[in-house]
Amino acid sequence: MTDVSGPLERVVEALARLAARGETIEDEWTYVHDLEKVWVARLRAVAVAGAAAEPPPPGPTPAELEAALDRLVAEADLVTDPHRAIDWLSTLPQATLVALGEAAW
Amino acid sequence: MRFQDAAKDARAVVYAGVQADPLVARAAALLADATPPQRVLARAVMNGETTAPESWRTMFPTLFGSTGPAEGSPERDRSEAVLAASLAVAGRGEQVRSQFRGAIVEAVTELLLERRVGAGAIRRERRILFDGVAAEIHPYDVTVETPGVAEAYDCKWGARGISADVLHQLDDARAHATAEGGRLLPVLVVFDARRSCEVRLARQTAPRTGTRLVTIETLDRLSGRRAEVAS
Repeated sequence: MTDVSGPLERVVEALARLAARGETIEDEWTYVHDLEKVWVARLRAVAVAGAAAEPPPPGPTPAELEAALDRLVAEADLVTDPHRAIDWLSTLPQATLVALGEAAW
Repeated sequence: MRFQDAAKDARAVVYAGVQADPLVARAAALLADATPPQRVLARAVMNGETTAPESWRTMFPTLFGSTGPAEGSPERDRSEAVLAASLAVAGRGEQVRSQFRGAIVEAVTELLLERRVGAGAIRRERRILFDGVAAEIHPYDVTVETPGVAEAYDCKWGARGISADVLHQLDDARAHATAEGGRLLPVLVVFDARRSCEVRLARQTAPRTGTRLVTIETLDRLSGRRAEVAS
């Protein structure tokens, strides 16, 4: 895997936007931010491990990966409903990890 | 410990129509044989806004990209079929699709359990009755009813569906069965990552140690198979 820390930070920023939408469900404020925290940690751990991997493991081409993450971020940004945003807080990182060729959990 | 069909109230009648929709059976059959990444694809599409298949193919390059399975290969064909079925669910509209998603998780659970215990032992929408104990209002989504040992399954689309009520009902059933000298295994099936489920469970005070958790990455354990390592 090539260095994906830049594109993954865009996913992290998208997670923050989803959290901002999801936290408007008052009862779920804690869950929303706990969810964001654990998935951001997972994505950043993957970015660090991927950058250090030698040789890089098989996966999509850099261009395909860049396009995939851009499109996933755009999809997350389409979500306006706070309940859907909470669902996407879990879905976006899983889809991102699949795009990277990583285990999605 | 006795089992009983749930009462057919208005909600149950409407939901039975959803459960019987051919799209539920089609999606469940595909997901029962799907790989973990294909299950994540289904989760994303059924949760998503975009209806253009090409956009989803772009989002999942390990399934549809140049380095993924070749066009015409069985795995690529299954990815395409999962994508098509998931888009059909998403196309039903927001309110209806949430019912479809729930029904699909139940149907996948039933299909995978059939591979382990056979269809004859599996029932849907059942209540479990114990002597001297008031019956729970909500039926279990799926039950395995074998002499001496029973299994009760509550199925959820996402981790957010895990609540104290659900955990209490499952654990109460286990405890009542034990008190009668029987054995009942309560299982929570969630079509979401364990990481998200653990976040949800972390702040729950309801008992959960006797309840088994099956998540999107370990669904195959329902059929008696070990979960494959996702790639």
